[in-house]
Amino acid sequence: MKEKITIPIGPQHPLLKEPISLRIDASGEEVLGGTLRLGYVHRGIEKLAESRTYTQNIPLIERICGICSHVHTTTFCYAVEALLGIEIPPRAQYIRALLCELERIHSHLLWLGVLAKHVGLETVFMHSWHDRELVLDIMEELSGGRVSHGINQIGGVRFDVDAEHHPMMADKMQKLHERITQFMQIFEREPSIKARTHGVAPLSADLIRQYGLAGPVARASGVDVDMRRDDPLPPYDRLDISVITHPDGDAWSRTYVRIYEIYESLLLCEKILQAIPEGNISVRARRKVPAGEVVVRSEAPRGEVVYYLRSNGTEYPARLKIRTPTLPALAIMPMQLAQIHVADIPVVLAGVDLCIACADR
Amino acid sequence: MFEVLFYLLIFPGFLFLYLCSWLFEFLDRKLLARFQRRIGPPWYQPLADLIKLFSKEDLMPQGANEVVAIALPIVSLCAVLTAGIYVPVAGFSPESFEGDLIIVLFLLSIPTLAYYLAGVTSVGIYSLLGGARSLLQFFSYEVPLLIALSGPAVLAGSWSIQEIIARQSETGAFLLFQPLGFLLAMIGLIGKLKRDPLDIPKAKSEVVAGSLTEFTGVKLGFWHLVMNIQAVVGIFLIINLYIGWTSAGNPLLNISIFLIQWLAMILLLSTASAVFARLRIDQLAGLGWKILVPLSLLQLTVVILMGV
Repeated sequence: MKEKITIPIGPQHPLLKEPISLRIDASGEEVLGGTLRLGYVHRGIEKLAESRTYTQNIPLIERICGICSHVHTTTFCYAVEALLGIEIPPRAQYIRALLCELERIHSHLLWLGVLAKHVGLETVFMHSWHDRELVLDIMEELSGGRVSHGINQIGGVRFDVDAEHHPMMADKMQKLHERITQFMQIFEREPSIKARTHGVAPLSADLIRQYGLAGPVARASGVDVDMRRDDPLPPYDRLDISVITHPDGDAWSRTYVRIYEIYESLLLCEKILQAIPEGNISVRARRKVPAGEVVVRSEAPRGEVVYYLRSNGTEYPARLKIRTPTLPALAIMPMQLAQIHVADIPVVLAGVDLCIACADR
Repeated sequence: MFEVLFYLLIFPGFLFLYLCSWLFEFLDRKLLARFQRRIGPPWYQPLADLIKLFSKEDLMPQGANEVVAIALPIVSLCAVLTAGIYVPVAGFSPESFEGDLIIVLFLLSIPTLAYYLAGVTSVGIYSLLGGARSLLQFFSYEVPLLIALSGPAVLAGSWSIQEIIARQSETGAFLLFQPLGFLLAMIGLIGKLKRDPLDIPKAKSEVVAGSLTEFTGVKLGFWHLVMNIQAVVGIFLIINLYIGWTSAGNPLLNISIFLIQWLAMILLLSTASAVFARLRIDQLAGLGWKILVPLSLLQLTVVILMGV
């Protein structure tokens, strides 16, 4: 079987959780290249945001992504607050950061499961998604929502972390810590996983910089970027963050980076809970936002999220531009889908942790 | 005449093998689910699935060969059922002759070839890939499997499964003499049954459902039946060859020991599918020819030397 065939993957395929369309050119089991079609979940959110007030925009922006919903609203709120010239109470900053970190754990655990499923190890998929429930439980206790929290408002947060939350969280995080250690052992020792992930479609640090990739994918190629440290929103400037990197850039090093980031996030949650100051959780904010423009960056689970917001002095934003980390990851996809095996396509796709809903908006 | 029909249709023929495959599928799915912290299906689920498939509309893509598509699962089912008659259950077999092991091995490889044909004759890119993969996989596992399975025959000095069992009742299970051969046979069986971690031809995230992507309804139901009965017969065969044991004049003991052995084998297969990641086809070919074949030859040499 040497003639060229085209394998359609998507918009509907068991491999994909979200719709994209890949056309893979292959010769037998060898992939020659691929092309990409996007836009299946475009909802026009950026345009929609212009017809809603700033407050109304928060629920809308929360629905950009089903996994990293909180980091989107957090970034948006910080952008609006910067234009308004208000600083939210420190307690609110810490609560926002706490949920950001929980969300990172939740996202990375979910990713771990997806990767395991794609290499045919459904047991790890089931177990990691089961352990993800611990984080979801914490988030549900805090905000009432498992993935959409509705906790941000312009000027602060809507729910407080009570004293009785602390022991519950400490208990669950302890359990989670044990489970992550188990996963790390599985991924470090299990030869069949190593065989499937070591050396698969590595990306060099140069390519990462050229394409502007960010987040765990960049860090797995040895590019030391993390918005929490490089351009921190409060309260990350007061927290000590160690950035995990790995030099190899293949699917396995991405696993390594993400698992250790879960450890790091658990540690950060503890630090946040210890350092969280007393006080109000919100301040009053005006409805009309003074004219001006602002760019706010933050570190989503998948990398750098950039919000550009322009106000014309009314209750409605004049322009909202959202740049998510998945877009450059998609741009580099055709390059990654060459000189690999057909069986490696799921690993490559899972490796960069695509969030199509974020990319299409 | 009546006796033959009984053998073909009731025991150890269709009905018995179907009931066994029902139990096998249920136990396999339940065990896998428990390994994965799921609850798993109820005991009647395999039958319910079959009824569902049989009552579904039967569709074929345009351009696919209808006759071939109907014939393949039926031929495969006939092959595995015939093989089932020659594989003794708890030491009982209606028909036993010198060389029936070879017949059984031949019959058990027919479904794989049919699976390949099903892939290339139904028009669909996933089917084509799955079919090509199944053939590649066939060449990787079949050779070490056949060499490994000839070990017991050489040791017993007979190509009749019944003889091999009888010999083991005297000398002790052949598993003790050739544990490596048993391991190779298990790997080969997993490859033959296209189970995790060697489910390369039907890997969901790569080729959707492999050769069977375009099959629906009754034909797919037949294919599931083939796969499950093939698994049952394959497990029976390995039990007979490696841990076969009978005592004359005590059928109840024979049956209970056979049942325990069978359940242990299912546990082994389910564990294997729960704990390993799927290999790539080139990795499997490398494993098969660079590691499994030399190992199986080594085992065979040891067996021949033992016999001398």
